[in-house]
Amino acid sequence: MSIRLREVHKAFGPKEVLRGFTLEVRDGETLAIVGPSGSGKSVLLKHVAGLLRPDSGSIFVDTHSVPDLSRKELTRLRRRIGYVFQFAALFDSMTVTENVGMGLRRMPEWDARRIAARVEECLALVDLHGLGDRYPAQLSGGQRKRAGLARAIAPSPKFLLYDEPTTGLDPVTTTVIDRLILRMSDEMGVTGLVVTHDMTSAYRVADRITLLHDGRARFTGAPDEVQAAGDEVLRGFVEGDPDLYFGRNNDGT
Amino acid sequence: MAELLLRPFAAIGNLTLAGLESMGRAWRLFASAAVSIRNTDVWMPLLLPQMARVGVASVPIALFIATFTGIVMALQASYSLTGTIPSYFVGTLVGKTMILELGPVLTGLVLAGRVGANISAELGTMRVTEQVDALETLAYDPLAYLVVPRLLAGIVMFPVVVLLAISIGIAAGWFTALQLLEMSSAEFVKGLRIYYAPWDVWFAVIKSLSFGAVVTGTGCYCGLQTEGGAEGVGRSATRAVVAACMIILCLDAFWAAVLL
Amino acid sequence: MERRREVLVGLVVVLGIAAGVFGSIWLKGGWRGGQTELRTAATSVGALVRGAVVKFRGVTVGSVGSIEVLPSGEAVMVEMRVLEELVIPANAAVLLAPESMFGEWQAEILDRGEFGLPPFLDYPEEGVLPGAALPDFSRLTATFDQIARNLTTISDRVEVAFTEETAMNLKGVIDNVSVVSDLLSEIIAQQTERFEDLAEGVDESAQELGAAARAARISFEHFDSLLLGADAEAMMADASAGLRNLRELTEDVGSSLGDMRSAAQRVDATFARVEGLLTALETPDGSFGRLLGDPALADGALEVLAEFRALLADIKENPGRYVTFSIF
Ligand SMILES: Nc1ncnc2c1ncn2[C@@H]1O[C@H](COP(=O)(O)OP(=O)(O)O)[C@@H](O)[C@H]1O
Ligand SMILES: [Mg+2]
Repeated sequence: MSIRLREVHKAFGPKEVLRGFTLEVRDGETLAIVGPSGSGKSVLLKHVAGLLRPDSGSIFVDTHSVPDLSRKELTRLRRRIGYVFQFAALFDSMTVTENVGMGLRRMPEWDARRIAARVEECLALVDLHGLGDRYPAQLSGGQRKRAGLARAIAPSPKFLLYDEPTTGLDPVTTTVIDRLILRMSDEMGVTGLVVTHDMTSAYRVADRITLLHDGRARFTGAPDEVQAAGDEVLRGFVEGDPDLYFGRNNDGT
Repeated sequence: MAELLLRPFAAIGNLTLAGLESMGRAWRLFASAAVSIRNTDVWMPLLLPQMARVGVASVPIALFIATFTGIVMALQASYSLTGTIPSYFVGTLVGKTMILELGPVLTGLVLAGRVGANISAELGTMRVTEQVDALETLAYDPLAYLVVPRLLAGIVMFPVVVLLAISIGIAAGWFTALQLLEMSSAEFVKGLRIYYAPWDVWFAVIKSLSFGAVVTGTGCYCGLQTEGGAEGVGRSATRAVVAACMIILCLDAFWAAVLL
Repeated sequence: MERRREVLVGLVVVLGIAAGVFGSIWLKGGWRGGQTELRTAATSVGALVRGAVVKFRGVTVGSVGSIEVLPSGEAVMVEMRVLEELVIPANAAVLLAPESMFGEWQAEILDRGEFGLPPFLDYPEEGVLPGAALPDFSRLTATFDQIARNLTTISDRVEVAFTEETAMNLKGVIDNVSVVSDLLSEIIAQQTERFEDLAEGVDESAQELGAAARAARISFEHFDSLLLGADAEAMMADASAGLRNLRELTEDVGSSLGDMRSAAQRVDATFARVEGLLTALETPDGSFGRLLGDPALADGALEVLAEFRALLADIKENPGRYVTFSIF
């Protein structure tokens, strides 16, 4: 029940986004990947879900080598992976209820009654009960994000990939979501991969934290290790100090 | 100097390669879509809404165009057929051109604008807002979910819309002949029937069927290829319409050469 | 919502298919009931193809099903699907001929007695109608040539057979024919209208020919007191001139209206009958004298002209068949 990436390379044209990224997420663990915008965090997550293919390197989810799976096998694997998109990616043409039920409708053993019950349950989990009949366009950004989260957890996946689940949310909602992430891992034994650049959130939910820098995993360690680490780039990112992060001298060159 | 001379060739070469590449990608898309047809449980429930959108919603505009085409054909025919040619040729001209050419092609071009742009914009928006990715992560085959129902709806509904358009176009031409050209109904019908061959209607059906596949297919392809936010969505909608119109006209010539 | 959409889609599909099906049936000229099969054999089928129309007395009654060369290679078997209730004449034959200027051919079921001329192939099998394809346009001028030659020959033989009055009458007719043929060439050159005048001209000539024939018949009774005439010779020269005129005219038809095959073939058939008439006269027991003396033969000549008149009337009625219309 683990996620393993080895030496993953990915370039878009001349732009090398991942340059030998190696990481292991252990079974039942929640790992946070931090890094500035544009560092390739979303790209990394998409590789795990098989939405992008690496130029080289290996990606294993459980025992499955994701890039080598056939369409059918990939589909089967995806039923066990929940993906929370950065901008929710709700289907515009469907109500919130229909959105949340989408994944469940692919499961042959689920009938309409059971789906409806589960959707209600998930909406309650993310504090959205009563908004099920709305369309995504009628929701606020935070509500959308929570609806996206509800959609991802509805089929009770074994793996959850969160792409900046708390970015842009108010502190209260952030706490709600963080608790939900913790709950998924504690109660359901979900293996989680949380992409974020919100350090508070990362400290709260993660068993370990990895800094994605320059296409590689620069540092990996438990939250207290991160706080104690001497690595300049990591300290630069955590403290929000561009001079340290970009490795500039004090005179700015 | 040499560099300056080579530049146009390099540009042409680039263009050719880009064209071939996107053609290859399009074929791959349709080959995969053909494979995805077996996922009937995914696309079956979506077919009806798409048929309503591609077909039913297109009927008014198609009939509007056909009506005026029929009227103009009748008037122009009577204008050009003077002197020795008997007036019932107005019926022949209206019937033949509506069935063989104007019915399928004009409808195809108009629906390329209406349906093709619509599909491309919709799928483009879904692509740039990661809804297509979301479909995949929810274990849906995006081709079966998005492309197959639209393609099938186009293939099924285009001939239907075109047949309606042809009927209305001929009726409009007939009405014009009676009201404005002082022809008798019998004359017009004689002209309609005198050169009619049953194959004509099949020809129209085959043509409109292929146009339906082209319009929805380019819409899907351009939509799924979208990159770069709202601007990209607009660009791919434009591209879908232009490509569909060009392919329709080429295909029109092709069918005329092969089937007539 | 869902229901409404289902109904709408269903409605449009049904309407569209109904428009296609009923529209094409209507355009084809109505629903055809039960069909039965007819067969005919001919030495050649010209440009007949599968699906070509089958006509009976000008009405479309079916279509050609299959065309196959017989294994022996001696004939072509044509299968036609026609209306079940169609009653065809006992001595029916099938004439394969162009339907219009576009070169599409039709199979016409006709009464052999009414249209005896083309060499119908009598295939020795039960239920196979005799068939023939109309000869090509190139044969038309050849036929005219032969008519002219035949007439010259006959004129040589029978120049003795005229009274002065008959000669004058016949001369009048022939003058008339050349006037008519001039008119005809003018008309063909314009490809137009005025078929009416032509028809009248032919009418007139026909009547005059009849009068001449009757006068000749009377004078034939005093054969002994015939004039041997320089007049007759001059008259026959006129006759050949008139026929030459006619021949040029047909060449005109050929060059100016490359595709006017159908008209040409009808003319061909008409003149073929003239030819037949003249050939009959050439046989040992026939003579131009017999033409003049035998009311049946004289009537035959009138009939030929009547047929010619019918052809012109048809051109007037259905110019679409004779005037090229090539927009598609
Ligand atoms: N489909 C793509 N085509 C080209 N470039 C891409 C694509 N997806 C991502 N990128 C580039 O990869 C880099 C990393 O993107 P992303 O993973 O979205 O960053 P973030 O860490 O903010 O999530 C960005 O510079 C982006 O421009
Ligand atoms: Mg991102």
